[in-house]
Amino acid sequence: MSAAPLDAYRIREEPYYLALADEIALFEAAYAARLPVMLKGPTGCGKTRFVQHMAWRLRRPLITVACNEEMSASDFLGRYLLEDGATRWQDGPLTIAARLGAICYLDEVVEARQDTLVVIHPLTDDRRLLSLPARSEAFQAHPDFHLVVSHNPGYQSALKDLKPSTKQRFAALEFDYPLRVQEVEILTHETAVARELAERLVSVAEAARRLKGHGLDEGISTRMLVHGASLIRQGIGVQAACEMALVRPLTDDPELISTLIASVRACL
Amino acid sequence: MSGTPSLVSEQELPSRASHFVRALWGFDVRVRALPPAVNEFAPRRPRFVASNLWLPATPLVGVPGSFSDYLFAACAHISAHLRFGAPRFSIKSLKPAQVAIISLLEDARVEHLATAHYPGLKSLWAPYYQARADGAKTSLSLLARLARALHDAAYEDDDSWVNKGRQLFWQARAEWHDPSSCRRIGSALGNDLGQMRVQFNAKAYAVEPAYRDDNIGLWLFEAEQTEDGTQLESEGVRRIESDARAPLQRERGEPELNPAPAGSPREDAERASRLRLTTRAESQPAVRYAEWDYVIQRERAAFCSVFERPVAPGDPARLASTLSRYAPAQKRLERAALRLADRRPLRVRHLLDGDRLDLPAAVAAVVAHASGVPPEPRVYRRVRFRVEPPALLLLLDLSESLNAVPPSAGTPLLELAKSASALLATSLAGVAGDLAIHGFSSNGRHEVGYYRFKDFDEPYDEPARARLAGMRANLSTRLGTALRHSGQALSARHAQRKLLLVVTDGEPSDIDVHDPKYLLFDAKEATISNRRLGVTSFCLGLDANAEVSVRRIFGAGNYSLLDRLESLPERLARLYPRLSA
Repeated sequence: MSAAPLDAYRIREEPYYLALADEIALFEAAYAARLPVMLKGPTGCGKTRFVQHMAWRLRRPLITVACNEEMSASDFLGRYLLEDGATRWQDGPLTIAARLGAICYLDEVVEARQDTLVVIHPLTDDRRLLSLPARSEAFQAHPDFHLVVSHNPGYQSALKDLKPSTKQRFAALEFDYPLRVQEVEILTHETAVARELAERLVSVAEAARRLKGHGLDEGISTRMLVHGASLIRQGIGVQAACEMALVRPLTDDPELISTLIASVRACL
Repeated sequence: MSGTPSLVSEQELPSRASHFVRALWGFDVRVRALPPAVNEFAPRRPRFVASNLWLPATPLVGVPGSFSDYLFAACAHISAHLRFGAPRFSIKSLKPAQVAIISLLEDARVEHLATAHYPGLKSLWAPYYQARADGAKTSLSLLARLARALHDAAYEDDDSWVNKGRQLFWQARAEWHDPSSCRRIGSALGNDLGQMRVQFNAKAYAVEPAYRDDNIGLWLFEAEQTEDGTQLESEGVRRIESDARAPLQRERGEPELNPAPAGSPREDAERASRLRLTTRAESQPAVRYAEWDYVIQRERAAFCSVFERPVAPGDPARLASTLSRYAPAQKRLERAALRLADRRPLRVRHLLDGDRLDLPAAVAAVVAHASGVPPEPRVYRRVRFRVEPPALLLLLDLSESLNAVPPSAGTPLLELAKSASALLATSLAGVAGDLAIHGFSSNGRHEVGYYRFKDFDEPYDEPARARLAGMRANLSTRLGTALRHSGQALSARHAQRKLLLVVTDGEPSDIDVHDPKYLLFDAKEATISNRRLGVTSFCLGLDANAEVSVRRIFGAGNYSLLDRLESLPERLARLYPRLSA
């Protein structure tokens, strides 16, 4: 197989990412040692953007798999398809990445069934081996292959957690919402809103984040702020944009919604 | 969003207000409803003492706009005091007018500091400034105009006193971080007011604009020269209660003049007994519920009072030893719980028909077909979602009848109820869904005791086990009120299904009711109104002879009667999977 199929997965433009601490150096070290990396942190704080940025920085193609309950091992590894009355093997995303040397990113990895995830075990220790039972094939992963998973421990129930045997294969980076100055910087860069307005939007997010555990499962994320700022750039009023992008997606509880709307008004 | 005045129930009030304060400043406050005044002379205002807030539960007279906005404005104001206020002022030799003016300046000071953080607060407060620069120059109108002048830079006033106040306040801008500047300016302005011969009537004074608190929280009183929170709190409660009882003698703006007013002689015997009960139930204030009167075919509003009572702990070791007797039932329950806890969708493969093609089976079928072998037709698959376990509230009727010893069992029913609850809690807690175990017994409509042995979200730990072991039975069965209270607790849960499982002998009765049908029909109404809240009720009847009344209350099919009372724990264990599946 040629490297052509990977071209689609290459990232040519630098994805914007503002380093919050030393995570870039840490990730590079883990990549150099080919240690699988787990990114932890609340939703919308920049985990996926970070992986894209790192793939660009390391000049590796990035294959992303959004994990879900329905996935079976063959969704990772590959399956036989029918073609002109004959069967043809089709590699799954994990197999492609391992064969050709890409970064494979399993987003929201706990959403996949834990017994399904066991297929990554031989790939994530020093064997770096991928076995395809359906094809009776096993092969050594490409030297450039790297596995990254993301995981949001916040809202997962006890029944939905990674097996210890899976967890312990990874080095982990913990993410959180950026600091105020950083978040303002991100907002002005991503949406070109005025700095003063970005400050106000971050105040709204900070107010909502104080309610985490007091009725909210998650605070307003950086991603939601970017959404809000984008709406404002479209010419929507600030109050309406905040309600639409920051408040209403966050909760269905009418009490909390009215509290959050009042907080938005206080911030503007 | 809505501009219409709305009512906020007493349950919603605390969470809304305290969440807002937490969102703004990151600290927590305790919110309670300001008791309604019987008849008003000076309008009521919100109040705070330390971090305790009292907010009106119904719109105040003459306050414009939506009630919800008003509450947020009041919370924002009080939280600004808490965030930027200093230790409370001491009154010393200040005159009532000076106290009112200093408070007004302090209000403006903390609001300006808060607005520096949250500029939008200004527009939240703006609608309540209604003072205009015309009309008689009474102390009331002058103070309201000064408040507006300090709030709104564009406001113009022709009065020299108002303008002087505004000028002094802004001159002291550099000292805003220091509350003593307010004291200095306020004393001077108070003297001016006196020289202008403007009368200040402290009794009729209410702080304007209406979202502001009544200033009680700003001042230190002679009687309690302490910053100790508990004492302040009790003082606040006392003052609030005295408000409720004697609105004629409320202290406004000059709190030092009227220490605790005496109870008004108008109190009738019923109210006296209610107050006595309030003090006896040291734990929680009463929650009132309506009761259905079948004779008049109407609800009697706020007729029954539920008191949440603490449970004296018992010996959990004894309970654990009796529990070992029910090992098989426990096993069955645990299996059922685990089955329910498994939320993963079921993938059924190799079906004759289904939502999707079972790809490996389909490939195998085509390969078989190509090689001339009859293909297997089962090439479909389907995903089945499992039902979520219900939020379950086990409500135990802890009336005197539970102390009876059924001849066949040899132990009191109460012990069986304890074992049954412990069995349920041990097997389900932490595994499947939400579980709460509550109980009740009543002593007339003013005293429905309600006990939480294990509440939702609480682990079934040592204290919970001790509470279960400490369960006692006495008094009567005001079933309907207890059902309403449980229904409220359950309806607040986030669950697809909410199940109220009631264990009772099925004969509601109470000391103040002589018509046996009265409480029966009330309980029936309570069950119906619970259903409207999304709460399904099921009754496990302890008296096989009470089928008629149990069926009437819960409806056909929604009950099960115990013929052998000693099998209560086992029956409950068998019932749970049936009700939850």
